Amino acid sequence: MIELQGLTKTYAGKHVVDDVSLTLETGEFGVLIGPSGCGKSTTLKMINRLIPLSGGRIILNGDDVNTLPTEQLRRRIGYAIQSTGLFPHWSVAQNIATVPQLLKWPKSRIDDRVDELMAMFHLDPSEFRHKYPHQLSGGQAQRVGVARALAADPEVLLMDEPFGAVDPITREVLQAEMKRVHQQTGKTIVFVTHDMDEALQLATRIALLNGGRLVQYDRPIEMMVTPADDFVREFIGQADLGLKLLSRRWVHQYQRPPSLAHHATLPGLDHCWQLDDAGRPVALEGARLDDGGVTPVKSEWTATPDMSLKEALSRMVWYRVMVLPVIDEAGKLIGEIGMQGVMGIQAEQRVHAS
Amino acid sequence: MASTRSRQWVGNRVLMTLLVAAVASVGLLPFASLSPNRLASGQSVMLWEASASWQLAAFALIGLALLLAALARPLSVRTALWLSLIATLPLLALDFQALGGYAHRALVDASPAARVSQGATFWILLFVCVLIAIDALQRLRLGMAGRALYGMAALAVIAACFCGDLLAPLSIMREFANQRDNFVDQLIRHLLLVGGALVPALLVGLPLGLMANRRARLRNGLFSVLNVFQTLPSIAVFGLLIAPLSALGRAVPWLGDLGVSGIGVAPAIIALVLYSLLPIVRNTYSGLAGVSSGALEAARGMGMTPRQILWQVEIPLALPVILSGLRIVTVQAIGLVVVAALIGAGGFGAFIFQGLGQYAIDLVLLGAIPTIVLAVIADFALQILVSLSRPAGTR
Repeated sequence: MIELQGLTKTYAGKHVVDDVSLTLETGEFGVLIGPSGCGKSTTLKMINRLIPLSGGRIILNGDDVNTLPTEQLRRRIGYAIQSTGLFPHWSVAQNIATVPQLLKWPKSRIDDRVDELMAMFHLDPSEFRHKYPHQLSGGQAQRVGVARALAADPEVLLMDEPFGAVDPITREVLQAEMKRVHQQTGKTIVFVTHDMDEALQLATRIALLNGGRLVQYDRPIEMMVTPADDFVREFIGQADLGLKLLSRRWVHQYQRPPSLAHHATLPGLDHCWQLDDAGRPVALEGARLDDGGVTPVKSEWTATPDMSLKEALSRMVWYRVMVLPVIDEAGKLIGEIGMQGVMGIQAEQRVHAS
Repeated sequence: MASTRSRQWVGNRVLMTLLVAAVASVGLLPFASLSPNRLASGQSVMLWEASASWQLAAFALIGLALLLAALARPLSVRTALWLSLIATLPLLALDFQALGGYAHRALVDASPAARVSQGATFWILLFVCVLIAIDALQRLRLGMAGRALYGMAALAVIAACFCGDLLAPLSIMREFANQRDNFVDQLIRHLLLVGGALVPALLVGLPLGLMANRRARLRNGLFSVLNVFQTLPSIAVFGLLIAPLSALGRAVPWLGDLGVSGIGVAPAIIALVLYSLLPIVRNTYSGLAGVSSGALEAARGMGMTPRQILWQVEIPLALPVILSGLRIVTVQAIGLVVVAALIGAGGFGAFIFQGLGQYAIDLVLLGAIPTIVLAVIADFALQILVSLSRPAGTR
């Protein structure tokens, strides 16, 4: 758990960070966001004291960070930055082992840990262990940077715009990986970005800063639904607010049981699924805009429970189907998601209505 | 038109130019000279007069091989480069062979005072060999190991020529024989002077470079002071140091006993240290400044102590640049020590100034050639060290 209490940073009389207070519970993914110069990076760097505090306190799991010896504090906190900061003269394995080495772990424990982390980030140890940073792609280098930050199993992971310098496709892959790693490790993460989509994708809590002040600290959905003021509204962006909301809602929250027989009660949505022996959907009868006939199910327009509603909607629009089959890992039909689901009408409500 | 045609014929223009220069010098300039004594000027001897007939045939054969290597056809580019590289070694040996052989024959029935010296064509052939080899090594993109191997082969060829008494009758070797004990003394002295300057220059320069990196405000002042030292002519510095140092030596007797006086070793070393400081400080500074700020931020953020950052991150990454500074300074010091002989510091400069005083050119060469050889060896050795110090990841 991290508590910022009245955190203040002053440069030459100017408040760069002004009386910021917030609490991030253990296991949360906190994102500091705001326009350039809002003090988000400064706030982050005060947590591991790369920048000294001008006022206020930071409590890390009960310890005031100002009372801990600097190096000892930093070894308890993982740190990953945009430029990766990998040591060019050390191999990937040596880089990842940096903090365990500083903590004087025995060699066998370090080796095991390096292998474990490389596996977590899908870097084949036999291929990457002995490579040097200049032999890595941008995405690989960033993975090694994050693996290095996690090496000594720190209490908190600080990330300063880690994916700001990679191409959009790699960034999406890295964001998905980061989300998975967060779920796998349950780490408390403080993440700085200026990209609202990235924040909505990753955060469990978002702190929006402007001019050094904390404007709103909330869950992503609340920030979208109940913005504190016009600045928040503007920063989130109004044009595709609905789509942003959908990107934070998941198919499993809104899916309903599959329709296996025709319902005359649902005008325009009269449809049913044909299954094979293994329970996998093979065809859809009705519910297509083009024709009311039988359409073979394609994997391109199936949904999974952990898919966002935004993606589900996108598939519906592109493949011109009013309803997607929701399948499990084995491909079995476990539900369906239709327009009502996307509109936020949950299964129970529909059952009532019918 | 003419140039396009010659481009079609000539594959390697550098080699062709060097060959033309070599042939012109063989035709126009003396290969050796024969003089009645060590001070008188001699009579010119051309290559074809100096060489035995088998040597002439060998020269012609190697010349033809090199010509073949310079042409665009029929050899492939790489084969031609290898041919020129290999042909250079016997040419080198032959250059020495012809000179030594001539000296033996010419002095058989001459007076004991008569001297044989090498002439312009001997040197030109020697340099043509060196240039052909350097050019071919570069174009073949041989690695450090390949270059070192070839360099050692060339050195072995030259050493073999010096081993027997082949070159003994040459004037410069007779000077060497006269000075044999002295030569070793001056070699040691030369090396001690270089080492005696480099060690304190490193001890002072490395911390100064680190300081320049850490304290931006000190940097400009420091570099302008060091720049002033660098621009002073060396002879002027030696002159300027005479008065204060002799005063110091007299005023503080124990310093005087240690050898501090207006002339000799003390002013030589002081001047050499002053000249060495700027390259060492500047390279240390820029080596440290070149370490990526991301790596430094990450190092601090992960909890490395300032000392760990310096020794594990900054110094390993700055080392190639720092060693390049050492390389500049070493080669520079080997040359500057020659001038220090003027104020009685000794070293190979002693032969040069003695030779100049006596108009004995071969004695001058006895000082100059070993100085050049020392500088080339030091340069090469440090170059290898620089490339070894390059971090494995960036090599």
